[in-house]
Amino acid sequence: MPATDYQGPSASFTNFGRSILSLRREQVHSMENVQEATSQELEAFQRQVADRFHDLSAVGSDDLLSLPWVRKLLDVFLCCQEEFRVILSNNKGYINRAPMDRLISDFFERNVKALDVCNAIRDGIEQIRQWQKQLEIVLCALHNQRSLGEGQFRRAKKALIDLAIGMLDEKESNASLANRNRSFGRNNIQKDHQKSLGNFRSLSWSVSRSWSAARQLQAIGNNMAAPRANEIAATNGLAVAVFTMSSVLLFVMWALVAAIPCQDRGLQTHFNIPRQFIWAVPILSLHEKILEESKKRDRRNACGLLKEIHQIEKCARHMNELADSVQFPLTEEKEGEVRQRVQELGEVFEAVKDGLDPLERQVLNFGFWGYEK
Amino acid sequence: MEKNDPEKSGRNELKKNDVGSPTPRTPPNLSTIDEKSHRDHPQLQPQQTGDHIITTLSNVDDSCFSDQDHNIDQVSQDIDQFTDRLTTVDHKSNPPQVPDVVETFSKIVESRIAKYYSGGQNRMKFTSKMTEEESFFLEAVRRMSKLINAFSEFQSSSGSGSTTNSSLNRTSMVLQKAMSFLEEELRALLEDSRTSLAHLEGLCTKQSSFNSMRDDSDRCAFPPSELRRDEEGDYPAYSPEVVTKMSRIAAAMISAGYESESCQVYSIARRNAFVEALKNLEFDKISVDDVQKMQWEALEGEIAKWIKVVKHCATVLFPAERKLCEEVFSGNPSTSRSLFTNLARAVVVRFLDFAEAIALTRRSAEKLFKFLDMYETLRDLSSAIAQDDSGHDLKSEISAASDRIGEAAVNIFCDLENSIESDVAKNPVPGGAVHPLTRYVMNYLKYACEYKDTLEQIFQQNKKVEQQSVTTEEEEGGLAISSPFSVQLIAVMNLLDENLEAKSNLYKDPSLRDVFLMNNGRYILQKIKGSTEIHQLIGDTWCRRRSSELRQYHKNYQRETWGKVLQCLKHEGLQVNGKVCKAVLKERFKNFNTMFDEIHKTQATWVMSDEQLQSELRVSVTAVVIPAYRSFLGRFRQYLDSGRSAEKYIKYQAEDIETLIEELFDGNPTSMDGILL
Repeated sequence: MPATDYQGPSASFTNFGRSILSLRREQVHSMENVQEATSQELEAFQRQVADRFHDLSAVGSDDLLSLPWVRKLLDVFLCCQEEFRVILSNNKGYINRAPMDRLISDFFERNVKALDVCNAIRDGIEQIRQWQKQLEIVLCALHNQRSLGEGQFRRAKKALIDLAIGMLDEKESNASLANRNRSFGRNNIQKDHQKSLGNFRSLSWSVSRSWSAARQLQAIGNNMAAPRANEIAATNGLAVAVFTMSSVLLFVMWALVAAIPCQDRGLQTHFNIPRQFIWAVPILSLHEKILEESKKRDRRNACGLLKEIHQIEKCARHMNELADSVQFPLTEEKEGEVRQRVQELGEVFEAVKDGLDPLERQVLNFGFWGYEK
Repeated sequence: MEKNDPEKSGRNELKKNDVGSPTPRTPPNLSTIDEKSHRDHPQLQPQQTGDHIITTLSNVDDSCFSDQDHNIDQVSQDIDQFTDRLTTVDHKSNPPQVPDVVETFSKIVESRIAKYYSGGQNRMKFTSKMTEEESFFLEAVRRMSKLINAFSEFQSSSGSGSTTNSSLNRTSMVLQKAMSFLEEELRALLEDSRTSLAHLEGLCTKQSSFNSMRDDSDRCAFPPSELRRDEEGDYPAYSPEVVTKMSRIAAAMISAGYESESCQVYSIARRNAFVEALKNLEFDKISVDDVQKMQWEALEGEIAKWIKVVKHCATVLFPAERKLCEEVFSGNPSTSRSLFTNLARAVVVRFLDFAEAIALTRRSAEKLFKFLDMYETLRDLSSAIAQDDSGHDLKSEISAASDRIGEAAVNIFCDLENSIESDVAKNPVPGGAVHPLTRYVMNYLKYACEYKDTLEQIFQQNKKVEQQSVTTEEEEGGLAISSPFSVQLIAVMNLLDENLEAKSNLYKDPSLRDVFLMNNGRYILQKIKGSTEIHQLIGDTWCRRRSSELRQYHKNYQRETWGKVLQCLKHEGLQVNGKVCKAVLKERFKNFNTMFDEIHKTQATWVMSDEQLQSELRVSVTAVVIPAYRSFLGRFRQYLDSGRSAEKYIKYQAEDIETLIEELFDGNPTSMDGILL
């Protein structure tokens, strides 16, 4: 029997390599030109990454982790990725050679893992969208109403309770839920809202119950180490680009998990980035800032560090307190206060409404990164 | 705040209303005359009137139900008139005095709600059909929201209007109560009629308030016989009555400005039901990461499951959900569309996650067919969803995912070229038989071409491949119609030919080389003729050229093997000076016998896998050898001495030769020892 091996020769990384590298056959340089061009390209790439993250970290604490900021973070990621792609396609000669083949295949694996994070994040975005719908009801009840009656407040209150339950972190048990319900004082609230609680949970579509964002981040960061001198030499410096892009990927995934609700969040991921890389400083400083934010007393138990989530919580709390304190008919002073709170709420609502869809699209696009359109 | 004391206040209100309502009245009709008499002489029967009102407003009793209805008719009319008056007022700065009937009306509705909530003990019987009672309630709610809307046109005037506000305040609160009651009702209807058998148990204890007012003896929201749970046949299994009821409730909520609530209840309930349905179909979420780690055999199972589920969604679940949406939100087409699209999107995105994860896996030839199955499934799904204009986004997401699957499929198919090129054998196949590569490639192509239309479509979309293959097409010398896929297919066929040509050179015996080429060529041609799809793609020209090549191999073989044999049987060269030279004749016979024996010994081990080809070949050999032998024998046997000499040289009769020719190409292994080539 002749030795006929019909298995295609495609290992995962060649497959990946093929797709990430648009076929630029016309670009044939002599070896020296390639080397020189590559070192310039690599330097420019690292400089760009550093500049972009400097930009991201140069925001005030009010803007950090806001929806526009997260969107900008994803934009930065997509730009870095595109540049990385171009670098690889200009250096195809190295990709199937050791140790670059291994580095690329590891990078591919990290990307696959990141896709799962993105899917979980998409669920988180859907969850925020549910809260947005409760806000919409509150606004519907209290905004632009000529007369604010008890009925409107009850309607708003009901939505606020649903909202509060929806925003409970998974870690908080049903016990605390029951506790909250008692303080709302309506007999049938408990029954109703346990129902809607279940509803919110089951809206999670994308990941299985045992999946953990914290574990996934850890897996992405596994065996990610700065390249050694011999690796850099053997890859014409490309190993540095791979490490740079891997670090950016890990950080962006980590920041997404920090900001957006998702299953089993955890921010303990260790960033092992030597400070001699010019982009290390801004990334590590952002990491520091976000960690600090997560340790703040009022944010420690938050289901996501996104600024808008905090604002929703705050506005809902104010509105709740106000709704509990109003008496009818409303005094002019109270009415003014209500209108002001409603306006605050409306602003958060608009911010969330405008920001979520584009964010979701970006997260979705992330998933397509390895392909050519 | 929640001081619900309809007995006391209700009586007062009604009295006031009865005696001195400022609103103009329509003349009493026959049905209200009885009541009228009470009203006209309140002092005469005060006790009776009081009792009457009490029962009307709180402990609704079957006995006085009709009386209450009369009252309600009147109150309703009054409310409508007041609402009309509000809407016709030109100056919306100064709202008119709110008549007491508004308060009364609120209390009636409120007492109904209270009654529904305490439903269990009630003696009224409800079927799943819409009752008058329920119709009244929904009508009352609608009336109430209209009133509030009309009133809210007026600017709020705190201070002077505080009394106005307070009675309206109560109304708005009752409306809110009514709405949250309807919301729960809608949820209960949606959830209680869910399709999973596991819910059957729960159904009998958990029930909607409307429906709870049935006999204690029959507390199930629906009798089990009514629960149609065949998920294939009747999803989502709501009876028409329930759908009507839900639709009425949704309409009431939307007209009162509670669209958000109604949509939310609906979408959450339907999503949960859908998750349940998917669970029943055993569709589990597998992460992208896990998909990469799975063995192909396991993954194949998952893909089959995925295809089943997606098809079921496209053909059964989605159309059913769309229909339900349209029915429940019949008055609001845009709402129903967006509800359906959102549901479909949430589900489809999950399907696409899996498709993308699959597209990322290592490529290998055997995956092609599953990829194509997935591609076709997504295409069907897309057209199932395309009905909704608003589903446009979703459609492009689906096509993005199927493009990736398609691209992977194209790459796999094109990898076939690499597989063929890399198949370099060192040893020839024994007996010149069909090479495993030929079998593999042809069966692969035959199977692939069962997906001809899909592959054509995918290749059309991947222009890149087309550009690469254009040269091949030109070399072919102008094929009439050549789609990118057929170009690729022909490229594969040509590559296979080249490869076989190279393999044929491993045979040292030119005849065996021809047999090998004949065998493989014949196999290829038979496969092409056996598959309409490949035949169409390859075209007649190609097949004709192939056939003539085969004939050439045949001729070559004949010449190569039998040419020398026939030389022995030539009549020329035997005569010396006009006389037949015996020695030469004997030499001829000897040579013939040796050659023929040698050929028989060798070629009986050779293989003709195709029976027809085998017999064709034998026939053609017979046709040239036998007549020549017969004629040679006929003419020259006389020159040999009879007896021993003749027997020595004439080893075979023509019939013997025929028999031996029939033994050629048998692949007979017993005589194969050592003389394979």
